[in-house]
Amino acid sequence: MAAEEEYLEAEENLEAIITRIEHKSRKIETLLKQSKPVDALKTALEGSALKTRDERCKSANWIVVHRAVMAIKDVDGMISSLDPEYYDILMKYLYRGLATGDRPTCDQCLRIHEKLTEKAGLGCILRSLSDTVNTV
Amino acid sequence: MAAVAVHQFAECITCHAWSPDQSMVAFCPNNSEVHIYKLFGEKWEKMHVLSKHDQIVCGIDWSLKSNKLVTVSHDRNSYVWSQEGTEWVPTLVILRLNRAALCVQWSPKENKFAVGSGAKSICICYYEQENNWWVSKLIRKKHESSVTNVAWHPDNILLATTSTDGKCRVFSTYIKGVDSKESESSSSDLKFGEQIAQLDLSVTWAFGVRWSPSGSILAYAGHNSMIHFIDDVKSNPSAQSIPLRDLPLRDLLFLSDRVVVGVGFDCNPMIFTADDTGLWSFTKFLDQRKAAPSSSRGSQLSEAFGKLYGTSKQVPSNDTVEPSKPRGGAHENCITCIVPLWKRGNTTLCRFSTSGLDGKVVIWELDIPK
Repeated sequence: MAAEEEYLEAEENLEAIITRIEHKSRKIETLLKQSKPVDALKTALEGSALKTRDERCKSANWIVVHRAVMAIKDVDGMISSLDPEYYDILMKYLYRGLATGDRPTCDQCLRIHEKLTEKAGLGCILRSLSDTVNTV
Repeated sequence: MAAVAVHQFAECITCHAWSPDQSMVAFCPNNSEVHIYKLFGEKWEKMHVLSKHDQIVCGIDWSLKSNKLVTVSHDRNSYVWSQEGTEWVPTLVILRLNRAALCVQWSPKENKFAVGSGAKSICICYYEQENNWWVSKLIRKKHESSVTNVAWHPDNILLATTSTDGKCRVFSTYIKGVDSKESESSSSDLKFGEQIAQLDLSVTWAFGVRWSPSGSILAYAGHNSMIHFIDDVKSNPSAQSIPLRDLPLRDLLFLSDRVVVGVGFDCNPMIFTADDTGLWSFTKFLDQRKAAPSSSRGSQLSEAFGKLYGTSKQVPSNDTVEPSKPRGGAHENCITCIVPLWKRGNTTLCRFSTSGLDGKVVIWELDIPK
């Protein structure tokens, strides 16, 4: 019974999450048009629902983050202006990007991975690999 | 402020312990024996080899007041060794385990010792005078996986454990007849095996649990490169989790209520300090590396990731990246064990020793302010 309740509660929340992601997506498009890729990435990473198990939510969020990631030209600048609390989340998304196998995505993700590792250290990679609860 | 002495004893050391006067060290060189070495002037000499176990000895503890050695091994047995003349005499302690024992620690009063095991249980062993043997009582409940480390609270009754299920638990090990009733704060929790608290801060394996000298703070490390500090576990727990920049820790040691040393896969002890408000943070690495000149961590990492990044800078095309390059520090491989070295008369701890997979035992000394 408890599992079912949890499921129903999650269902309602899912709709809320999807709506939030769509909202984020529009905001990001605006920011990108204004040539603010760093802010776009921050918006994309903010409020990511990491605890949900629903694949649609995760994919939707990934598409949004992917869009922002691909628009980054100045990686060094982006990393230095990013809040340390987002390092772990960004690293998780980078690995998701690397897993796609798509050449441009992988190139970009690898570029950012190098700089992020220099900034955040190996601990960041460890946390993104070992965290099975908050997944992207 | 750094390594005072470095001793290479073997190819790999599983765990170690010092004698009460710190003249002898007992360690397991990654086999089923325990070697005891004594320092004569400048040279170490092998004094004894204790070989009763059949498999790796994974835990050794030397009691400081009663001068007894306790060893536990993957062979599910434990021996208490007492020195009679020049010989060490073993006493088998039947732990009643069906999986390997993983760690051991004498209680502060040295009348009990706790053993963590892969059988998801803890054994609390105490000495029964009438029958002249050590009895083991098991705490079988609660743990969902192997118990990696155990730590006694200064009150000799509470025991904290970390496990590969990621949780840190605190149990009461009150035994009638062994523990007297004088120092109890809440008598209802005193039943043997009663779980006082369960902390679920780490999603990954947990290691290296320790209590602060006053018993008010609990710290443990998670395998996801995090360290957790919990204040006031019994009544109102408040936790701080600090993500580490580098590789995970395997063991911890409280030097005072405000200073913690963590050791692990970075091969370099890390110091954490708490400020006046009780907020913990990483302070520094202890070991001053004789690092390569202009390169910082950046080049070390890009060398390791050289092949991955493709357009690497100075990696020649025909070589493979050496995994075990000496990095110029005291330890060359993972540090797995840290042991305090109390100086007589001192109330604050400033000396400790570490041992690791590189077979070295390194003694460190630190100036603690205040």
